[in-house]
Amino acid sequence: MRHNSRAGVSEKMRVTGIENGFRNRLRNSFANSPVILRWLMAGCVAVCLWLPVQAFAAGTINIYSHRQQILIQPFLDEFTKATGIQTKVVYASKGLAQRLQAEGAASPADVILTVDIARLAEYANLDLLASVESAVLTANIPAHLRASDNRWFGLSERARIVVTSRDRVPADAIQRIEDLADAEWQQRICTRPGSHVYNRALMASLIAAHGAEAAQSWAEKLVANLARKPQGNDRAQAKAIFQGICDVAIMNSYYYGNMKFNDDAEQRSWADAIRLVFTNQADRGNHINISGGGVAKHSRNKQQAVAFLEFLTGEVAQQLYGTVNYEYPVNPAVAPPAELASWGPFKRDKLPIERLAELAPQAQMIIDRVGW
Amino acid sequence: MVATFLSNWSLASRQPIDKWSASTVVLCCFLLGPVAALLLTAFGDSGGLWTHLVDTVLGTYVVNTLALMGGVGVVAVLFGVSAAWVISRYDFTGRNILEWMLLLPAAIPAYIIAYCYTDFFEYAGPLQTALRTAFGWQTPRDYYFPEIRSLGGAMLVMASVLYPYIYMVTRIAFRLTPASLFEIALVHNKSQFWHVGLPLARPAIVAGLALVMMEVVSDFGTVEYFAVPTITLGIFNVWLGMNNLVAAAQISSVGFLFILGLLGLELYARSRQQYVSTSRTQNSPAALPTTPVGTLVCWLVCLVPLLFGFFIPLGVLLRFVLRGDLAADFLAIQPIVTNSVMVAIAAAIVIMLIASLIVLTAAFRAGPKLRKLALMSSTGYAFPGTILAIGVLIYAGYIDHGLRFLSGGMISSFLIASMGLLLLAYVVRFQAVGYGAMLSGVRRLPKNLMSASRVLGHGYVASLRQVILPLLKSSFLAGLMLVFVDIMKELPMTLLLRPFDFETLATYTYQFAKDEMLEQAALPALMIVLTGLIPVILMSAMLRRYR
Repeated sequence: MRHNSRAGVSEKMRVTGIENGFRNRLRNSFANSPVILRWLMAGCVAVCLWLPVQAFAAGTINIYSHRQQILIQPFLDEFTKATGIQTKVVYASKGLAQRLQAEGAASPADVILTVDIARLAEYANLDLLASVESAVLTANIPAHLRASDNRWFGLSERARIVVTSRDRVPADAIQRIEDLADAEWQQRICTRPGSHVYNRALMASLIAAHGAEAAQSWAEKLVANLARKPQGNDRAQAKAIFQGICDVAIMNSYYYGNMKFNDDAEQRSWADAIRLVFTNQADRGNHINISGGGVAKHSRNKQQAVAFLEFLTGEVAQQLYGTVNYEYPVNPAVAPPAELASWGPFKRDKLPIERLAELAPQAQMIIDRVGW
Repeated sequence: MVATFLSNWSLASRQPIDKWSASTVVLCCFLLGPVAALLLTAFGDSGGLWTHLVDTVLGTYVVNTLALMGGVGVVAVLFGVSAAWVISRYDFTGRNILEWMLLLPAAIPAYIIAYCYTDFFEYAGPLQTALRTAFGWQTPRDYYFPEIRSLGGAMLVMASVLYPYIYMVTRIAFRLTPASLFEIALVHNKSQFWHVGLPLARPAIVAGLALVMMEVVSDFGTVEYFAVPTITLGIFNVWLGMNNLVAAAQISSVGFLFILGLLGLELYARSRQQYVSTSRTQNSPAALPTTPVGTLVCWLVCLVPLLFGFFIPLGVLLRFVLRGDLAADFLAIQPIVTNSVMVAIAAAIVIMLIASLIVLTAAFRAGPKLRKLALMSSTGYAFPGTILAIGVLIYAGYIDHGLRFLSGGMISSFLIASMGLLLLAYVVRFQAVGYGAMLSGVRRLPKNLMSASRVLGHGYVASLRQVILPLLKSSFLAGLMLVFVDIMKELPMTLLLRPFDFETLATYTYQFAKDEMLEQAALPALMIVLTGLIPVILMSAMLRRYR
């Protein structure tokens, strides 16, 4: 075995070190290198040189986004085309508010985009958003979908609806979100985990409508009706209905569009298996959440940042929300694209959207208690 | 004052303060900054949230976390140690290929394998569909099939990608065990494995296991997808659901202290034992020949972990990739591949240099206090990635603030919003991997090796260069490879701390995988695996040469 030749390695290293062949130098480069400490200093210098200086270029806005880059790119392209202003993006799902907070006044961020009200409120609570006076934004966005102090703005509406199996559930069997607590649905409901931000907001809307006690009692019965442990995302719930694991699920409406027009035939068949139910049409209306945005408090490009938000509430971008991701426009003057319109008009819950964020901690506690 | 402080640290080595100890102390303290920032945050007021947590979910979190740690630990040790044993002790056909193939699962990110496994094992997946066709079952109520999205599923999935941490170091330990000791077992008719191999490999196994445990505790992606409520899931619910970062930091800190306690327990348990071998001057054991049945057993031992950790997920990814337009898709992500590889190489080299400095100083220049500090500096690994990233942010905010103050406003942001932030985060988190690799190498060196060299008239530097470093080459390479692969697949910190318009394969994969768009996620995920393969193959070839 080659191990036998291993004896006295250090002596061997010294002998070969005297020779001068390239191969030996290569082999010994690690052993004969200057001291680690010196390597380290050289490394530090190299790293410092490598650090790119962050440009605060005029004509460029920097965006912190909770929405994936692939989904906002069409908006950015349209914005640059219309205004000539360039955009740069960091996408992350968690912790961007803490990043902005740590950066403080040195932050390069101009605009924040989120996909739900809870994240928006987090920025507002940490005092990271600037108050924006814009007649365009006030005109384009209904009052209940923006902050009373003008620090954040709803940009699209996302309806959290109930979907039912086309084969196994009659068309009008479910009218209200409250119906999911009925014993009729025992072992027949699927949802994603309760702690997900969409379910938390739904829970908050029930607290707002009925008070904490009644909301918890609803949640307990819902959990008792579940066909399986809460898991997966909303799309996975439609899949479960298609597979016959359950008959009823809670889902954000845009998932339906995403599945219906998916490249993957399998997903199209999941969409075919479900029927959309807008809930509470006879009373307060269907629960909605928003994707939204605001201007960073320490932005150096406030004017252009506001222009970007205004662009997002205008005709072109509001249409894009519908075509790119099947979300509803917030701007009442913009009609939803034909596909969205074909799902039917529906009554929305007009609860001031910031109530959802205020009630979120209480909602999470209920979710913890009932084990959703 | 600083001088007395420093001289205290190096007291045990009975030497005046030198630049080695001093720089190591400074470096360790620097690296502990983010952890300290998190612990400081935890001292805030959590508004009585603990009462609610204790009353409701905390018990579930703790039980699930402990069960997951136990399950993953047992399976990973089983996979890793048994594979390392047959590879290093037996001579069988295919051994040379299996030896490096067994490292491959390390290249597969846990969040990807979770998606792959669900796709493979769920109701609509190929396995259950095949079973239904074969047996004529119609609905899920017709038969029982274990739920993959469960605690048991998470154990299997995580253990099958994490066992290489144990396999890698244990294999080296077995190989470096002197043949004479195995011969003694043979003479006394005792088991070579139970009485010699295993006890002597214990430090290596524990070093690997420690990394596995920290990975388990800090994992978010897999447990979220499998809906297993562990402490980490709880941390995120408290932070994002109840807007309570303080309580989240408190839970993380408790988990962190728990891991620290486990490590301390193991260190204490073996504090009176010495693990020394003069491996390089003795013969390593020759591999034992095998019978055909023996070969089959060896193959089985190696192929089971490989099947779960590599072939199944690879198959699922390939199935998706082959559906798409391969050439066009690849062109689109090629710049991202380059970016990922460059960043991972640069960071891995920096990390290994830092880890080497810390380990060598702690081992040869310093007393027990500095040794403890060195161990502490590698504990950032025990925090969930996103939470550690928050610690890094808070810490970097302080540093930038200090620099701004000191420079009178000349430097406005040094770390924040630059590559430096990401690099710092990588070092803080993956220092543990480099540290573990180097430490298990140093532990096997006889203590008197350095003393002998010094007595013979070499300085410290010359002794390192001519005696110690050549013996640590394989450990350095092993560490470099593990760190590289770890950074290639790192997701939560890269996602949060990266500069504008900066994509790695992991972040690019995630934006699709997040919405379960596996077809689009498959190619970049596959590229993570493939780029991970290159160093695995390269370094195992080098390891073989230097062995």
